[in-house]
Amino acid sequence: MPKLTIDGKEIEVPGGLTVLQACELAGVEIPRFCYHERLSVAGNCRMCLVEMGQAPKPIASCAMPAGDGMVIRTDTPVVKKARQGVMEFLLINHPLDCPICDQGGECDLQDQAMAFGVDHSRYQENKRAVPEKYMGPLIKTIMTRCIHCTRCIRFATEIAGVEEMGALNRGGHVEITTLEKAIDSELSGNLIDVCPVGALTSRPYAFTARSWELRKTNSVDALDAVGSNIRVDARGREVMRVLPRLHEDVNEEWISDKTRYACDGLARQRLDRPYLRKDGRLRPVSWDEAFRAIAARLDGLDGGKIAALAGDLCDAESMLALKDLMAALGSPHLDCRQDGAKIGAKIGGAGPRAGYLFNTTIAGIERADAALLVGTNPRHEATLVNARLRKRFLMGGFRVGLIGAPCDLSYPVDTLGAGPETLSELAAGTGAFAEVLTAAERPMIVLGMAALARPDGAAVLHLARALAEKFGMIGEDWNGFNLLHGAAARVGGLDLGFLPGDGGRDRDGILDGVHGGDIEVVYLLGADEIDMARLGPNAQEGAFVIYQGHHGDAGAHRADVILPGAAYTEKNGTYVNTEGRVQLGRLAVSPPGEARADWTILRALSEVVGQRLPYDDLGALRQRLVAVNPVFAAVDRVEAAPWGEFGEQGKLDGAPFGVAVENYYMTDPISRASETMASCAEVFGSGRAGEATGTDG
Amino acid sequence: MFDKVLLKNAEIPNAHGIGAYEAAGGYRALATVLHEYSPDELIQLVKDSNLRGRGGAGFPTGVKWGFVPKDPALEKYLCCNADESEPGTFKDRVIMEKDPHQMIEGMVIGAYAIGAQKAYIYIRGEYVLSIERTEAALKEAYRKGYLGERILGTDFNLEMFVHCGAGAYICGEETALLESVEGRRAQPKLKPPFPVVEGLYGCPTVINNVETLACLPHIVQRGAEWFRGIGPERSPGPKLYCLSGHVRKPGLYELPMGISLRELVEDHGGGPRSGGRIKAVIPGGVSAPMIPESGLDVAMDFDSLAAIDTMLGSAGVIVLDETACVVRVAKRITEFFNHESCGKCTPCREGLDWAVKILRRLEDGRGKHEDLDQLERLCGSIFGNSFCALGDGAAWALSAALKHFRDEFVRHIEDGRCPFH
Ligand SMILES: Cc1cc2nc3c(=O)[nH]c(=O)nc-3n(C[C@H](O)[C@H](O)[C@H](O)COP(=O)(O)O)c2cc1C
Ligand code: SF4
Ligand code: SF4
Ligand code: FES
Repeated sequence: MPKLTIDGKEIEVPGGLTVLQACELAGVEIPRFCYHERLSVAGNCRMCLVEMGQAPKPIASCAMPAGDGMVIRTDTPVVKKARQGVMEFLLINHPLDCPICDQGGECDLQDQAMAFGVDHSRYQENKRAVPEKYMGPLIKTIMTRCIHCTRCIRFATEIAGVEEMGALNRGGHVEITTLEKAIDSELSGNLIDVCPVGALTSRPYAFTARSWELRKTNSVDALDAVGSNIRVDARGREVMRVLPRLHEDVNEEWISDKTRYACDGLARQRLDRPYLRKDGRLRPVSWDEAFRAIAARLDGLDGGKIAALAGDLCDAESMLALKDLMAALGSPHLDCRQDGAKIGAKIGGAGPRAGYLFNTTIAGIERADAALLVGTNPRHEATLVNARLRKRFLMGGFRVGLIGAPCDLSYPVDTLGAGPETLSELAAGTGAFAEVLTAAERPMIVLGMAALARPDGAAVLHLARALAEKFGMIGEDWNGFNLLHGAAARVGGLDLGFLPGDGGRDRDGILDGVHGGDIEVVYLLGADEIDMARLGPNAQEGAFVIYQGHHGDAGAHRADVILPGAAYTEKNGTYVNTEGRVQLGRLAVSPPGEARADWTILRALSEVVGQRLPYDDLGALRQRLVAVNPVFAAVDRVEAAPWGEFGEQGKLDGAPFGVAVENYYMTDPISRASETMASCAEVFGSGRAGEATGTDG
Repeated sequence: MFDKVLLKNAEIPNAHGIGAYEAAGGYRALATVLHEYSPDELIQLVKDSNLRGRGGAGFPTGVKWGFVPKDPALEKYLCCNADESEPGTFKDRVIMEKDPHQMIEGMVIGAYAIGAQKAYIYIRGEYVLSIERTEAALKEAYRKGYLGERILGTDFNLEMFVHCGAGAYICGEETALLESVEGRRAQPKLKPPFPVVEGLYGCPTVINNVETLACLPHIVQRGAEWFRGIGPERSPGPKLYCLSGHVRKPGLYELPMGISLRELVEDHGGGPRSGGRIKAVIPGGVSAPMIPESGLDVAMDFDSLAAIDTMLGSAGVIVLDETACVVRVAKRITEFFNHESCGKCTPCREGLDWAVKILRRLEDGRGKHEDLDQLERLCGSIFGNSFCALGDGAAWALSAALKHFRDEFVRHIEDGRCPFH
């Protein structure tokens, strides 16, 4: 523990810190532009200069390791002059167009100019202008504002793993550039956060709002199963933007492009009032009429003929309310696995929790020393999990093997094979990667939904479990067995048992039941990813379909009754991420029109159908949630889940593992409604690149 | 008369061939080293000689070598800095063109001392003949067993490669040089870690100047004491001085360290051009602050020049006579640095660009009195705050011109034109 003297105060700091970090611990703020905690140190802006002992010149505190006995001064005339000098230099070529800059109000340059700058410019010469660069549909550049801190270059190369940014020319002519094509990374939006000035800003958000007019709500993302912590910025009833919020164990300070940019989809194709299909056409009706139509259809119907499916964006509260309602109606047919993934026991619930969680935890990836990916493309299914895998790779000594469709994950991967056959071989100990797993101290396996959402999914799960045990992945303080979910609702659904009850049918059973006439009413709670054709063309020749959700997507198109619910930004709801981490999403704006928070819809419906649910407020519902499964009480705490038997021994199919996410930018009703996501899909789908438009649009 | 050491062979026709080099006693020092010295003894010898780096900073060579970790498991590299881009400097070029084996022998000795098995020679791209001759010499040395495996029958192996620069001055800065060798954009890197600990490909790396390395065979052959006896004890040895500018006899001179600048310019260089009088001398390449005529009695060694706020640098001695316009000289030098600034750090990138704009106005006679204070302030904001010595040197050189010749700047402002042109 080195001891330093900082501005006359002695302080002992942990080893391995820089002088800048030591100053922070001592409560002395050091101005900085190029330094970023999560990026390599560049030391180029020179804003953080301090004086050190007898050193003849000031030193860059961000780059100097804190050493024992160092005497640091940050309050001397030399330091003050150096900072003023750097500030003046940074401003001479800066356009000072703050009034029209989207970074205004949250700009490091603006803030530090207030603190260290002078109030007038001594610069009498012409300012330089820098041509804009094309970075795709998400990022807008105003390169004249660039201060050449290279944070963007370092982020792209280090965190995102795409070597697509760099510097051109020298001296005053230096330009930060791309390859004049869209940045090929699902993390690209973070570039606008790492850029300390307004050189890189959000293209969709351009000129829409000023940061100080926004209402900020801390929440969690629901567009994948990572549970990234976010801040939702809203004006009036509109979500203007989504930003990352720091959570070291989950998303660190990054979010994926979908998490950030799908938010324009929240305002489009919304279901803002109830609808009822009359004479084949959906007509707007009152809540009361919609409820009465449902009650009429259920009246006298045997509970065994009713079924429910929960979609990917559902909060735990609404799933529990629907589960309770189904129980009251006498139906055992429910399933939260709309992709048909063979997770959980055939009967009797979800099985041991460790059988469906990402047990290693996201942060735990950093302790692993080998990984086997099976039927997954984490880059598309859980971008931030992939970022963690890359981070682990950069630390060195980490081999990754993949069984499944080959993909570019931004770090080297040994592609071992395509399907279950390779998995059995590996489980039998053959192949070079078996040696890697044997030699590893903390190996991990990651099973994606493409490995499980198939007829032999339960057998694959069983085999993977055996493999994990064989290679010592399950130990005292290490669990290397992981399922990588893609749906924010999934683990919550499994935890609260939104699964077939006694004699109940799973997804395929329900859909087959509709075909055979055994299932007459299907309640879709935000379930849009099933094959709607299997529900039959209409209520007469198929099921009577109730769709509760927020977007006019596949489910609503087939529905006989539509109950307009709330998107994840419009309700207080509980989500459990792929690690089993319980987190709370919060209401940032109210739902549009007549739409309502989902559990309240179910509560109201329950009265109309004569099965009044026993909770009057969210608090009571949450108590019931905890009663159903105590894990819901442990908010943001991940505890080791008990190991046990799961999966089912069975015959494996020869078919290769498919792809769980075909199009990263369009995975759910919200991203499918987003224009921004549509333009990304266009740019990145069609051999991508795209040309510079050279305009603001 | 001083007996030439480094340029001894240069006069012999075809001295660049290995035959002539061997005939003059070449590669004997290498044999001595490999058979009679342990690496540690060799490092001690070089420490005892007080040899200081000829690349500019004058860092004691033996001390630098001593910092290399001894761990035999670590790969180590030696890089010869032959980027020679400092305006007014042409000494390494002569060694490479006329006597490349002297450098190569020095490199093998240096590599042996630090335990390197791979060595690079980073040659400025425009030095076409140097590249040709060095490459040819490498082939000869391989053929003769001075390079490659089991050199001279010992178990010391060394591979040596030429790496050509592409004309950027910053590539001479040692960490930028390493970046360039690794195939990246040449920009200085953070220190610490210093290259001796973490250099090329993350391995311990010593970077030495051509002339520094060329001294080694002689130190081995003639001893540390002999070397230390030439010139000042703390800054000794034979030295190459590159004399250019307004002198009668410009050229490359080999003389002892510590010779007086006046003697160099007036006796060896033959004094100013006919009819002229000396105004100022830049003693060590354009990064070195200029000295007005009154200061020429200084000794040309690292410490004496540092004591009068300038430096020996690359020993590129540039003489300005009275016809020279210091404003124009200062502008040209600052333009050079601005052009060569790599653009990494704020003070150098922004500050030099600003300084050039002001200097251009001043030279044109469009300057204002405030500009001079502004220039001084600018130099103050660059000097000591930039990432590498390029920015520092540029500011240092400019402030010396302002300090010693402020009246010339003022005349440009008052006359509204250049009084010299
Ligand atoms: C901008 C800049 C340019 C430099 N150019 C050269 C050069 O061309 N040749 C050289 O030997 N050293 C050059 N140096 C010095 C090197 O960084 C380094 O100190 C030197 O090569 C070490 O060798 P030495 O110890 O033998 O002097 C330069 C330094 C700076 C800051
Ligand atoms: S674009 Fe932004 S992040 Fe990139 S170098 Fe410029 S100022 Fe820094
Ligand atoms: S001082 Fe100049 S050359 Fe050196 S790092 Fe800074 S910008 Fe580059
Ligand atoms: S923050 Fe230290 S140099 Fe930029």
